[in-house]
Amino acid sequence: MSQQQISLENLNVIGPDYYAKNGYPHAEWTYLREHDPVHWCEYPNTDPFWAITKHADIVQIAKQPKLFSIAKRLLIFVPDTPSEPDPVPPFRHLLNMDPPEHGDYRGIVSARFTPRAVRSLEPQIEAITRKVFDGVTGKSRLDFVTDISSKVPLAVIAELLGVPQKDWDQLFRWTNETIGGSDPEFQDGTNSDETFDRARIGLFNYFNNLVEEKTKNPGNDLTSVVAAARINGAPMPQFEMLSYFLLLVVAGNETTRNATTGGLRALIENPEQWERLKKDRSLLKPAIEEIVRWTTPVIQFARTANEDTEIRDKKIAAGETVCLFYPSANRDEEVFENPFTFDVGRNPNPHVAFGIGEHFCLGANLARLELEVIFRELIERMEYAELAGPVERLRSSFVGGIKHMPITTKINPARN
Amino acid sequence: MKVVVDLKLCEGNQRCMEAAPEVFDVRDDDKAHLLMQNPPESLREKVKLAVRMCPRQAITIEG
Ligand code: HEM
Ligand code: SF4
Repeated sequence: MSQQQISLENLNVIGPDYYAKNGYPHAEWTYLREHDPVHWCEYPNTDPFWAITKHADIVQIAKQPKLFSIAKRLLIFVPDTPSEPDPVPPFRHLLNMDPPEHGDYRGIVSARFTPRAVRSLEPQIEAITRKVFDGVTGKSRLDFVTDISSKVPLAVIAELLGVPQKDWDQLFRWTNETIGGSDPEFQDGTNSDETFDRARIGLFNYFNNLVEEKTKNPGNDLTSVVAAARINGAPMPQFEMLSYFLLLVVAGNETTRNATTGGLRALIENPEQWERLKKDRSLLKPAIEEIVRWTTPVIQFARTANEDTEIRDKKIAAGETVCLFYPSANRDEEVFENPFTFDVGRNPNPHVAFGIGEHFCLGANLARLELEVIFRELIERMEYAELAGPVERLRSSFVGGIKHMPITTKINPARN
Repeated sequence: MKVVVDLKLCEGNQRCMEAAPEVFDVRDDDKAHLLMQNPPESLREKVKLAVRMCPRQAITIEG
């Protein structure tokens, strides 16, 4: 949609079909940032909300978790038919908890996710990544998503959680179904609710058994840490514990995968940036930040006002929801110079692709390290890559996904 | 200018140290330690960048 055709009355930034067909509605977001950065949205099949599109507003909202609750409405969900009930009584995990409870739950594992702690995982992540690349060495045509980008994040989190290798494929399937439930490719029930529920129950049962085992024989893995956790002196309730695992498995998967896929795509479409990175490896870290800004895999999370308040010139009433559109903030002209330019040397890069404040992505440092290892391997071993067909997008207005990205390429054997 | 770090929020993400190494030092306890409580005006821009880059929004400037 070109800027001229957009008007405040007709724009839609939340319909999953739009995302499946066109990708992110950047033209619409740009229009909103300029004309109505805090925009009231009423669409079929979902409760109304304010679309927040400016970087500064997202930061202000996210750092006031007492004023803006996440527990009341986690995200804007748009079911296919109005009769479907909101499928979200389900989990209770740190992502949908408010303070002070949120801090108690986050503290259980946060020490495992600092830059220092994740650095120690580098050899394992390298081994996983190398194996994935070895598996496609010499192949001239592949689907980058199913062959490469989907494999690393799942393996890493499975390893961290101490899930035995034989169960990784099953875990992968459930994860796809939990996040991509509204996409027909990942539905195995008759509709998205059924698929979603089935996957969720599968994961719950699986981790229930794993917890039992890790309670008897604790290891150094995350499952053992969560299984042994105490909240205010008492064991974590079973439902909360299983939700914790579900969050850890799901949160780092599709997101890191899509940053990887979108990152290669950006390098293919900006060959001079690929060259630059090849010549100067010191650009790897800023390049990863730029890939994360550029792709911004999480489209939105929401907050709901606990009291009447104001954002810019708009009065937000208690009980009203604000929807934080991260990809829009990451193209904000007031924060980023040439926001629509992919620049692997961009610095500073205060993007909010991992959120900010109270719920700042717990796995951000892990995701950064995974991406660093993957792109280091890629730059070393992938001689070239070209798109060999149209990319297929996930039908979701929550996680922006590329389901399939066929490429022609040449991947060399590892050097040593 | 006075700088304060909310240690309950700080999770050792190290962004502050990258922005203003003269002022912030993240140690083995994964917490940001202040190398100076009252940095000189000449460091204001760097500290402001640290405030902005801190993912947990744990840093405030007073004055
Ligand atoms: C490029 C990859 C990733 C992106 C773009 C991403 C994005 C996000 C965003 C935007 C949030 C904040 C939600 C909010 O403020 O409402 C978040 C939270 C979270 N992420 Fe990530 N994430 C990524 C990778 C990971 C990984 C690898 C893990 C691994 C465990 C993970 C675990 C979590 C958890 C547990 C939360 C909830 C934190 C809380 O509520 O305190 N993420 N993520
Ligand atoms: S950037 Fe923020 S969270 Fe990270 S170490 Fe510094 S003060 Fe702590």
